[in-house]
Amino acid sequence: MPNVKIRNLVKKYGDIYALDKINLDINDGELFILLGPSGCGKTTTLFSIAGLIKPEEGEIWFGDHLVTSAERNYIERPQDRNIAMVFQDYAIYPHLTVFKNIAFPLQIINLSREEIKKRVFDTAKSLGIEDLLERKPKQLSGGQRQRVALARAIVREPNVFLMDEPLSNLDAKLRVFARAELKRLHKRLGITIIYVTHDQIEALSMGTTIAILNKGKIEQVGKPDIIYNVPKNLFVAGFIGSPPMNMIDGVLKQENGYTCIDLGFTKYKLSDELEKIKKMNNKKIILGIRPEDVLISKQNASNSIKANIDIIEPMGREFEIHLDLGEKILIAVLRKMDSLNTGDEVYLTFNDKKIHLFDKNTEENIFASNYKD
Amino acid sequence: MSSHEVNQTETLDVIDDLKWEKIHSSKVFRLSKIKQIIKRVILYNVLIVALIVTVIPLWSGIMSAFKTQADLSLTSPLAPPTIPTFEPFIYAWQELQQPLINSVLFTTLATIFSCLLGSICGFVLTKLKFKGSNTVFLLLTLGIFLPYQSIIIPLFITIRNLGIYDTMWAMILVHSVYGIPMTTLLFRSYYESIPESLINAAKTDGAGIMAIYRRLIFPLSPLPFVVAGVFQFTSIWNDYLFALILTGANFEPASFALSNMAGGTETAWNNTMAGTFLYSLPILLIFVVLGKYLMQGLMAGAVKG
Amino acid sequence: MEQISEEIDKIEDFKNKKKRKFSKEIINNIFARDKLIIRLIFVTCCILVAYFVYYFIVWNIVVSMTDWQGLIQTNNFVGFENYLRMLDDPIFWTSLTNNLVFMLVFIPSSIVIGLFLAILLDQKIRKESVFRTIYLLPYALSFIVTAYLWQWMFIEDGVINFILDLFGLGSLKMAWISDPDIALFSVSFALVWQFSGYIMLIFLAAIRTVPQSHIMAAQIDGASGIRLYTRVIIPQIKTSTFTAFVILMIFSLKAFDFIWILTDGGPGWATTILPITVFKLAFKSNQFAYSSAIATTLFLIVMVIVIPYLYITYRKR
Repeated sequence: MPNVKIRNLVKKYGDIYALDKINLDINDGELFILLGPSGCGKTTTLFSIAGLIKPEEGEIWFGDHLVTSAERNYIERPQDRNIAMVFQDYAIYPHLTVFKNIAFPLQIINLSREEIKKRVFDTAKSLGIEDLLERKPKQLSGGQRQRVALARAIVREPNVFLMDEPLSNLDAKLRVFARAELKRLHKRLGITIIYVTHDQIEALSMGTTIAILNKGKIEQVGKPDIIYNVPKNLFVAGFIGSPPMNMIDGVLKQENGYTCIDLGFTKYKLSDELEKIKKMNNKKIILGIRPEDVLISKQNASNSIKANIDIIEPMGREFEIHLDLGEKILIAVLRKMDSLNTGDEVYLTFNDKKIHLFDKNTEENIFASNYKD
Repeated sequence: MSSHEVNQTETLDVIDDLKWEKIHSSKVFRLSKIKQIIKRVILYNVLIVALIVTVIPLWSGIMSAFKTQADLSLTSPLAPPTIPTFEPFIYAWQELQQPLINSVLFTTLATIFSCLLGSICGFVLTKLKFKGSNTVFLLLTLGIFLPYQSIIIPLFITIRNLGIYDTMWAMILVHSVYGIPMTTLLFRSYYESIPESLINAAKTDGAGIMAIYRRLIFPLSPLPFVVAGVFQFTSIWNDYLFALILTGANFEPASFALSNMAGGTETAWNNTMAGTFLYSLPILLIFVVLGKYLMQGLMAGAVKG
Repeated sequence: MEQISEEIDKIEDFKNKKKRKFSKEIINNIFARDKLIIRLIFVTCCILVAYFVYYFIVWNIVVSMTDWQGLIQTNNFVGFENYLRMLDDPIFWTSLTNNLVFMLVFIPSSIVIGLFLAILLDQKIRKESVFRTIYLLPYALSFIVTAYLWQWMFIEDGVINFILDLFGLGSLKMAWISDPDIALFSVSFALVWQFSGYIMLIFLAAIRTVPQSHIMAAQIDGASGIRLYTRVIIPQIKTSTFTAFVILMIFSLKAFDFIWILTDGGPGWATTILPITVFKLAFKSNQFAYSSAIATTLFLIVMVIVIPYLYITYRKR
């Protein structure tokens, strides 16, 4: 039984749909990521699960327990939902010490003093902040505050954890560290975490399941590697991956017994094909290929595309290469430059196992060469 | 570095010194400096004159309060007493002792009530937003501008009907209620600056509305409580109209008692001044100790909430 | 045997289910009670204010349309009779005129002096807080206190005349509050003394909110000294000027305590303003209905000032 069930959730602000019929199943123990650009509705979804926002339509269930139903005009208060939440600005009570901050939810439910002390100490220790218990929030650094917010959430051992971009206020170095810590925490406690972020790297590295939202709708839900390798549509393909997937307009044609894609300046033959592709002809498509799957060679081969190296951006661990095809610029990524220089004329091929084809009208993925039906 | 460069910087320094000498010794420079000094002198003089004008009535009052009857007619109003005496104060204290205690009592209670109520109303209007909360706030704020003369008759009738005419409760009730608009304004503007996420965090931590108020909002409010408290205490203590209308022989607020005492057939000015001074004491104390909070309250009332 | 234990299990199950539901309801009720108390207090406050402010206003209007005079309340509806009487009443017109004259003297003087002091204090004065505190002191005092202080100042052998003698200006001595021709001006003078510090505070705060960048830009453009103030700063503090103006106006219409103590509205009706008339009619000659009519008029005048003010300031939201 899924831990959290969202059915047909709709939230409007005036005439604008913040959430447009959202349906989600979040299973017990998942680190479920809500990912998307700003304004896509991920925070609205999170707040609805928390009970801080009342939707116009739809239902939310925790297990077999109804917590929100717009149709029945029933919404359980956040206080009663046995959830814990970490906010983007951590929302630590400024007038309380770290100890009292973490103890706050326990005091609400009137636990005994000894019990509170014990639990707070244990939680603080597990996050490495047991030395900070007597300090006030204004004396803490960003990373320390974040851990206090986490401690306050963990100490109650709730059903569901909600996190609203908890890492976005940390500097880059700390963020990498905190990401790993969160992942470790999740493994150790085995709790259900629902996590909102706009950072796709965070999502891919941390999540067990990712839901991508755009303009109030869910574009795709799935495991990170599926999202990366088999994006359902153009939006997902373009959103995930940095540098983003290269997109080239083209027409799918059958010629000489082969399926090839007419890219205008050249025709590219497909080697590995799906049955349904073989049946299509003269279909307007968009070809998608990730930068790491663009193969550069100094030698001309059949089916290769001529290009000039326009810009080389050294990014430390790898190089981003901008390739000028005359009418289009493609971005490729290489580990080593191998005596390639700006201005060189090179020949490109695509890793045949990693080509994506999107229907130009529906923007849906009709062919992902590494995905077998 | 070539010797050529070193020379250049040296010559630059020399030129600077020379220039400075020239500027410094020029008449124009000296004149403008003198001008500046004169300006400052005039400025301070004007300020001090204003200071004197402000203080004269107070000075004369205090001086008179320490003079004997004879001294009053013998000495000039501005001169200090030849032989200072506490007689006027003793007289005034006898007349005003009970009323002063009365005033302290009901002013303190009414201040506490109106501040607590204002805090809760401010909380509801900012953090428990509901449809029309802005309208309610506006209607509440209008109460600040009410000219009390326009409602003295209904007020009088109501207090009489409630059976609390001429008692302390009349003062407490009236001042608490009429204090609510101002205190709500002060608290509301303060609570607006508490981030929404803190409230949300408390909610998800399991705190009900009362717990949120008790554990989060109230502990964060020492500043508005002092500002509102000082403002309310001052307004209520200084009130005369309500004291005049709603009390009589039984319960005398200090303001009313003072006017009785001073309006006696023989206006002994030293006694009047002593009484006035006694009556002002709490306010002066607050002004000296908590003056900056009073100023904050005054400004909040002026610069829109 | 098995059947019995099955039954027992069933009953236990049922009891447990009921217990869980029941305790949940209790918890919900307690939390609901929490919210209730706060909401209740808020609603009570709203009701109280609605009653003591709005209901009283309406009540006052109603009374003004009766013929109630004397100690026994009569409730005969007489329409606008009292208002017509008011328009014919020389005392009403005197009160109104006095009010207007007072406002014309009091308001500009307070604003000019307040602004002047604020500008002076903005010049990086040493011990600025001392000056500020003392200038503000009169406003903190009760009107009773200041009324007695100024009575002492204004009487024939009082401080003002004494000082005039001191400077050899003895010929300027006057009966400041017993001369009907100048009493109102004396009153205005005393109140300007009391309010200037407060107005200064408002302006000082406003001047200091002008962003440094504006001032520096103006200085680079060549403005300095007086021009800096007239061209740059004063235009920026329009809102505060408006606020000060409104506050002073409303006070002028409410000023009862001070005048009552200082001159009792006299000599004659020289210093009688509307609030005084309202009070005298109600509590000295028991003409409650007529007093209410004037009180309502007073209220309307105040609203004519307040409502546009609130509209303008809150329109920006």
